[in-house]
Amino acid sequence: MPNLNFLLLGVFAAIASPFAALLLSTQGQLGELGRAIGEESGPLSPALETGLAIQGRSVYLSLGCVSCHTQQVRPAGQGSDIARGYGQRPSVARDYSLQPLVLLGERRLGPDLANYGARTPRNDLVALLTDPASSGAVWHPAYRFVDSASLTALVAYLTTLRQDYASPEAQLKK
Amino acid sequence: MTQDNPSDPSPGLRPRERFRPTRIEEALRGPFLLAFGSALFWLLVASVLTVVTSLGLGSLSGGLFRDHEFLTHGRVVAVQHNLFIYGWGCNAFFALNLWLLAQLGRFELRSAWLAHLGGAAWNLALAYGVCRLFAGELNGYALLEMPREVGPVLAGAFLLIALWPIVAYARRPTGNAFVSQWLVVGASFVFPLVFLLTQLLVLWQPASGVVQALAHGWFIANLRWLWLGASALAAVYYFLPKLLERMIAGYTLTPVAFWSLFLFAGWTGPAALVGSPVPLWLQSTGIVAAALMLIPVVIIAINLLGTLSSAGGWARAWNDTTLRFLGVGIVVFTAYGLLAGITAFRGPSALLRFTSFDKGLEHLLTYGFVTMVIFGAAYFILPRLTGTLWPSAKLVHVHFWSVVLGLLGSSAVWLVGGWQTGRQLADVAIAYPVILRGESTGFLVLTLSSLLLLIGHLAFALNVLGMISKSLVLARPGRHG
Repeated sequence: MPNLNFLLLGVFAAIASPFAALLLSTQGQLGELGRAIGEESGPLSPALETGLAIQGRSVYLSLGCVSCHTQQVRPAGQGSDIARGYGQRPSVARDYSLQPLVLLGERRLGPDLANYGARTPRNDLVALLTDPASSGAVWHPAYRFVDSASLTALVAYLTTLRQDYASPEAQLKK
Repeated sequence: MTQDNPSDPSPGLRPRERFRPTRIEEALRGPFLLAFGSALFWLLVASVLTVVTSLGLGSLSGGLFRDHEFLTHGRVVAVQHNLFIYGWGCNAFFALNLWLLAQLGRFELRSAWLAHLGGAAWNLALAYGVCRLFAGELNGYALLEMPREVGPVLAGAFLLIALWPIVAYARRPTGNAFVSQWLVVGASFVFPLVFLLTQLLVLWQPASGVVQALAHGWFIANLRWLWLGASALAAVYYFLPKLLERMIAGYTLTPVAFWSLFLFAGWTGPAALVGSPVPLWLQSTGIVAAALMLIPVVIIAINLLGTLSSAGGWARAWNDTTLRFLGVGIVVFTAYGLLAGITAFRGPSALLRFTSFDKGLEHLLTYGFVTMVIFGAAYFILPRLTGTLWPSAKLVHVHFWSVVLGLLGSSAVWLVGGWQTGRQLADVAIAYPVILRGESTGFLVLTLSSLLLLIGHLAFALNVLGMISKSLVLARPGRHG
């Protein structure tokens, strides 16, 4: 295989084909996904984020929460996510269609947060973030150095995390 | 284990005469030492941070670092990961790939200043990015966490320092080419392209929703297999026949291994997203590609293990520092390739997803294979570039045994611990805090393993520093007439 042009062309084709097939085609398939009505006369979902929640997402990123928490519920048969109460239905692509930076996560050192806002009262959240030991979460870092404005934003962000609206795609996925 | 290499062309001469650098090596010395020295520096920093993260894992809420914002677990993990891959792995391969292709293509580097400029820009951009990570400016995807303005600088620096192997290939005096040359050219071509496209799709013009996760999966698959993996394989294919003085077993199969590696690797990205909210056909495609990756893995295993296993190869490897590190790397690569293929299927994937198992797999590839090969290659190349022998055989022993034991301990924690956690997570009756408590023993072993790795790296760094200072003393005018 002595020819440089042949070698580079072959390698280029080898990496360009999955790029086109996996990424560009999926962008074409999912790129137009937006808010939709889940059930007759129901609200548009997913809900728009508030300004405070958008600030809270920055705090979430800044503290590196994504290294220990995922935000995705797998379907029944692919892990025990639904049985553990992480959500009532599996996550679908539409759930993330409004998010500027999707934070699916890869590792769980703590519970999944895709529906955290739907299952955790706000006051419990503040206690967990500032004094986790008293909340029983002994492994969770105590963010004593986070100022109150950032903490408020983070709590606002976490309470908006919910994928509990009716989704026709999730019905199909079940 | 001796510190002399059996391939030493002139035994019996004084060190400076034994390893008199050729003109090609003289021209490479500056860029090589800049890149390799930077790599070693970042490796030491990353090793210290590995100890910090493993200490923190065992005591997150009440640990040593609870009141230090910049040492928050999420930030330190991100910094350590970036430094290990971009600081250690990339810098080391800038040096190694350049040396390899210059040797194989008889290429004399004339524009070393461009490579110096690229090396300096790469490391400055990395240092800037890491400072921003410590300051809390993270993105949410592994190895893309640094602020987006760092990406184009890294890509530009890569072009200045890492495209010389392609130039060396184009200017080689003979029409023939060896598998190591194809691998280095392919790896050097793939990385900047994939890195820039992923930066574009995730950070500059974010793709819609979960397509970002797909782009990230595609990037990680290419980074692991086609940049780090292919570069390390190139070194193994070069050193193994050279030091054992024999042909690669089944060499005629290498074109199949090369093309199947490059053809299938990029498709394996979605295999890491099984069960996630991406279309099912993509997940299935990823699984099929991961299974097809067994083709190059098996051929490479036949090539490398076959070469090592014939005519007392293992015994010779045991007595040669470079071969000893390469031997460990080859065994680990085979184990990694088989495990990655088998665990990509839906059943194992459902069990192991979100546990430490994937971290363990990455550790096998990036440390057990890639880093071991870099160490082995350094033991061969540095005496030739500096014109001196390794100052301490004891430090070589400390280095080898510390990193091998550290590798075994940390891999066991990530892989066995990940499998154990996966089984417990599948059982809804076991509460989450109980599962985490079960991991605490693993965190202790992980801390000890991290300390062993740090000790090994310090021993290696001391030996390198000793060698360079010795070569500077020997190089003084009048020292050797």
